[in-house]
Amino acid sequence: MNRRRRTAILIDGSPSFAKDLAREIERNYAVRILSEPQHALTMIKLRETAKNSLFYLGEVLVTETKVQINNKIGIGIVVGNEEELSYELAVIDAAYQGALKETKNWTLLFEEEERRIRENKTTRERAILKTKVDFEMMDVE
Amino acid sequence: MAYVAVKGGAEAIEESIKRLTYERIHANELLELETITATMRGMVDQVMSESSLYSEFLAAIAIKQSEGNVEEAVFLLRAHRSTLPRTYYTRVVETNTMAVERRISASFKDIPGGQILGASYDYTHRLMDFDLIGESKAGMKEWVSQFLSEEIETTTNPDLTTLPKVVEYLRGEKLFSQIEDDNTEPIDVTKQSLQFPTTRSERLQVLTRGQTGAVTSLGYAAIRGFGQVHPTVGELRVGKLPLWISHPTEQSDDEENDYYIGEIKVTEVESFVPVSVQNENNTEEMEFEIGYGICYGQNETKAIAISILDHSLEVGKKEYPTQDEEFVLLHIDSVESSGFISHLKLPHYVTFQSKLDSMRKIKKESEK
Repeated sequence: MNRRRRTAILIDGSPSFAKDLAREIERNYAVRILSEPQHALTMIKLRETAKNSLFYLGEVLVTETKVQINNKIGIGIVVGNEEELSYELAVIDAAYQGALKETKNWTLLFEEEERRIRENKTTRERAILKTKVDFEMMDVE
Repeated sequence: MAYVAVKGGAEAIEESIKRLTYERIHANELLELETITATMRGMVDQVMSESSLYSEFLAAIAIKQSEGNVEEAVFLLRAHRSTLPRTYYTRVVETNTMAVERRISASFKDIPGGQILGASYDYTHRLMDFDLIGESKAGMKEWVSQFLSEEIETTTNPDLTTLPKVVEYLRGEKLFSQIEDDNTEPIDVTKQSLQFPTTRSERLQVLTRGQTGAVTSLGYAAIRGFGQVHPTVGELRVGKLPLWISHPTEQSDDEENDYYIGEIKVTEVESFVPVSVQNENNTEEMEFEIGYGICYGQNETKAIAISILDHSLEVGKKEYPTQDEEFVLLHIDSVESSGFISHLKLPHYVTFQSKLDSMRKIKKESEK
């Protein structure tokens, strides 16, 4: 599973999902923290839709952690003040970088979590769509 | 009389700062940060937008520290921002990826995907709700539970991340001209001070971090006669934008290798502005141009006002104050304007005495 899809599931999924995977790695390997969870900024580059040009919308606070497992470095970056999640993301990233055997069994778990995220999204969107306007033409006399 | 430098007041200043803390806490009411982020959505959004730093957590601390004084909270966040490293830039965010929570058009009734009202004060009676005085946690819980159970009853199959944009629909219909992507690298106003004439990227960045009241007032002025814009809201969206960054050290530009880092809530507006143009037969024809506005959080008035000012500054006829980029861009920043006005409270003893001296001298001479 590529990192793009993986990180989206880890961040949008249940907090316990990333926690459980990171704990599994911690139990079996020595995790060296290269950089403790710390706050940093990420600048957002955005395309506006009037002239389709680029500009900087502003910065967003992120929490970033770097760890090392078996000489492979993992990075965890997440929007907000999220020390634990950032650490867990870094551990999981390092596990995939090192192709640790545990990651082979994770694909199904990721797919299940992704399905739960999709279901929650559908429920949320259905709720929002209750506010969709159903126009009715008024009679003209 | 000679002018001498003076010092002192250190003790008084210390006492003044203690007095400020006393004012904040003497009522012995503890304001939790979670209470601010959970209940002060509008204020948190405004503070994040004006400080140009998206963080509900930091905004809540700043609001607590400043006792709800927005300009002070923005000042605190801007100052804090300058202490943090900027480690990443996102991939270009395309706003058609927004997970829409609200989406309306004032230009067309039937827009593809429909008008979705979401959460808005627009449809409420502006009557004080005195029931809030006795609001209880149990009552809140019951209301939410009832509300959520109602939601489950609907069956529509949605996808609010792929709603077609009204402007794209009109471009497809050839009512608006097609525009190629302009990938010119933007200028960052936090790294390079404004030089006039400005680029579009600088203008949009300054507008989106502008003070809500100032941006709204100037947008209003542009319509009232101190400008020449009469827009219609083509589309207004509120929703969440996903953010992605590439790997910091790997050379590959493969997007599949990107990190998803989370999402931010924004309000985005495209305003349609009618303009007269001369056609090939030398007769006047009406066309529409687009003004663009976007800001952090849900702040619809600000986003609409930005779209008005964006178009005004694109036209740029300096006889109208709202089309004069120097006038608009140098006066809408919260920290700059409130900072300058506030500095008038600082001791000006020497300069003022010097002015008095001049006055006395002139008076004396005129009495001779």
